[in-house]
Amino acid sequence: MLLAIVSGAVIFASSQNEWADGKPDLIFATFTKEHAESYRPAIAIFEKENNCRVQLQVVDSRALTGRLQSAIQAGAEVPDMVELLDGSMGTFTKGPIKDVGFIELNDYLKRDGLDKALVSNRFVKWSSRGHIFALPHDVHPVMLAYRRDLVEDLKIDVNKLTTWDEFARVGREVTKDLDGNGVVDRYMIDLAEDGGRIGLFLMQAGGGLFDANGDVAFDSEAGVDALYFYVKQMRGNTRTAFSCGWGQNFAKSVIDGLCLFYICPDWRTKQFQLDVASMNGKMALMPLPAFKEGGIRTSTWGGTGLAFTKQCRDFELAWKLAKHLYYDERQLGARFAATNILPPLKSAWQLPEYSAPREFYSGQAIGTLYASLAPFVPEEQSSPYATAASAKFAEAFTNAKLYYEARYEKYGDAGLRDYIAAELKRTADQVRRQIKRNVFLSDTGQVK
Amino acid sequence: MTTAGPVGNISQTPRMIASDLTVRAHPSGGGGWNRRARTAPYLFLIPYFLVTLVFFLYPLIYATILAFYQTNGPTSRAFVGLNNFRFVLSDPDFHTALWNTTVFAFFSIFLQLPLSLALALMLNVRSARLKSFFRLAIFAPNLVGQVFVGILFTMLFAPRYGLINKMLHALVGKGLEMNWLQDPSLVMPALIICSLWMYVGFNMIYFLAALQNVDQSLVEAAKIDGAGPWNIFRSVTVPAIMPVATFVVITSTVGSFQLFELPYILLQGFGPRNSGMTVVGYLYNFAFDTGDLGTGAAVGWLLTFIILIISLVQLRLSGTMRNDR
Repeated sequence: MLLAIVSGAVIFASSQNEWADGKPDLIFATFTKEHAESYRPAIAIFEKENNCRVQLQVVDSRALTGRLQSAIQAGAEVPDMVELLDGSMGTFTKGPIKDVGFIELNDYLKRDGLDKALVSNRFVKWSSRGHIFALPHDVHPVMLAYRRDLVEDLKIDVNKLTTWDEFARVGREVTKDLDGNGVVDRYMIDLAEDGGRIGLFLMQAGGGLFDANGDVAFDSEAGVDALYFYVKQMRGNTRTAFSCGWGQNFAKSVIDGLCLFYICPDWRTKQFQLDVASMNGKMALMPLPAFKEGGIRTSTWGGTGLAFTKQCRDFELAWKLAKHLYYDERQLGARFAATNILPPLKSAWQLPEYSAPREFYSGQAIGTLYASLAPFVPEEQSSPYATAASAKFAEAFTNAKLYYEARYEKYGDAGLRDYIAAELKRTADQVRRQIKRNVFLSDTGQVK
Repeated sequence: MTTAGPVGNISQTPRMIASDLTVRAHPSGGGGWNRRARTAPYLFLIPYFLVTLVFFLYPLIYATILAFYQTNGPTSRAFVGLNNFRFVLSDPDFHTALWNTTVFAFFSIFLQLPLSLALALMLNVRSARLKSFFRLAIFAPNLVGQVFVGILFTMLFAPRYGLINKMLHALVGKGLEMNWLQDPSLVMPALIICSLWMYVGFNMIYFLAALQNVDQSLVEAAKIDGAGPWNIFRSVTVPAIMPVATFVVITSTVGSFQLFELPYILLQGFGPRNSGMTVVGYLYNFAFDTGDLGTGAAVGWLLTFIILIISLVQLRLSGTMRNDR
């Protein structure tokens, strides 16, 4: 206890020292060091121009989400502006709209013309019941990165891979045990075994975990299409996919040519450059094949949003800083060159950095490629139950894989589709049951 | 059970100790000093009671109340009666979590503990060489945090490039693409392998200590009576180490039912089909991921009852409760 008292006193004293020079005008919390590093020079300029002090804090993403929500609800001191990780908005919008701890931005976006200047689909994932609570940092369109050298050696014409059916057909031809030792040495595509990326296929197929009303919606025809495709790539004699994982295993898979194609949102292009630098000039990008001829050739994976807490001491200053960091073209050219992340500000895509050829990607102008797909990026609804729905969707996928192994031979494609539909219904109902018992989720702000 | 020591009987109440002190200090008696001496033990106990009150009793009572509410974070709440318990008990995910935890606990007891005992028996042999080295080597994994172990085994279990699959492939010509952490049927074996590596050494130390305290005169007597190694083990060693074994079984069971970090880090969540979801993982999910502390508290109470019942059954079966004679 003595130790606790002494430590408490030391912490209190040091915090007093910290604020001795006066509190900063804004406290800005983010969850990634990379973002913080890229903001520091821009913040220095902003401080000079506006004669203010901004404190940038880097906080672990889990802590940022969980503790921030608790702190907001308990009325404790919180940062003025906070960067939120993909999928975390639901944590803050579980209760009535009036209880959400962030400032609603609809009017401000309209006032400054940002509702038109940005990719409008990107507001959806930072909204709840039509109220926008964060500014989108990115678009994150998805393409396929591939080993251009190997694909050309195999005489695969990527321009003809316009549908997933065609992609799978070619995939079955190239997925091979090359040395006859009983182990496949080359797969067409890297797909996660646990179904971690099915969500983006679901969106590309025209579905979503939730609909615009916030109701569970993954037990749809699009859900069946997405799972059916994914399962068939992962199992049996139609298999074309291998799960390369992350980090060193992933890098080795790319270098060894274990998989030819990789799901690649804009942010991942930088990871390729860093993790497999030896592949310089051997990689290239292509749009995703569509589920149907003429269908959309992209999807989305990930995202960051910037929210302003209701305790924000100077909202106008914070708003100005947000626009400076996120939508000031002076920042966005250099930032794209450094991060490869496409901002939602459409006018920025005309900057020279976006059309510059990249040596790593065989001279392709990756900014232009991603920007051309950005307007087609599907909407992604946010929900307090997004994690639960995502887990249940993946559970249906896992069960469908087991069904495939045990019964596909007997019941064929029709049986597989029927089973997937039934599984999706069962798992979606489990999420509905969870949502139904939430006594706080009411538009009126009243407990039901 | 009471124990007599040089300072008297340790089961004496504070009041008895106080009056003892009073008598020894002032045989003639003395008003103010008497009172102070009488209250002194209680004053010494105040810090303990304060800590217990703040960090144990208050949370316990608060958790009990909370279990009957649905909450949205720490401040918004709505009374729901027994609905949290009803929901949890009928939730298929809770059934999965309970099943996973039970399977893990089963293997902890029936695979891990016999292994620990076997290792302890081997290291207890007087002629064993490099005893200290092996003792340290087997115990060392326990010095490493579960988070680190999770990350380490993520790499070991990696399909195709992981050491475990490569070894399997070299030995039996199969298993190179086994996906330990993404195949629901392999997740639990993977968790058990990890926990074996971590905890076998830890429990071995308990067994080793118990074995070193076995009365050697009984062993010698049994040998003179013609008992073989198995009979000595069964009739002399096992009864002698039974109190420690009971303790290890109970702590292992409780520890198994509290499993959380290892699967959470290893699987980056709860694994495919929730195959790595444990009861504490389920609790964490509700209390901290979805902010429903009420349902989390209800799960906490259910877990407490489960552990309590299992521990009582284990104590009963091992006969420890009856040993108060």
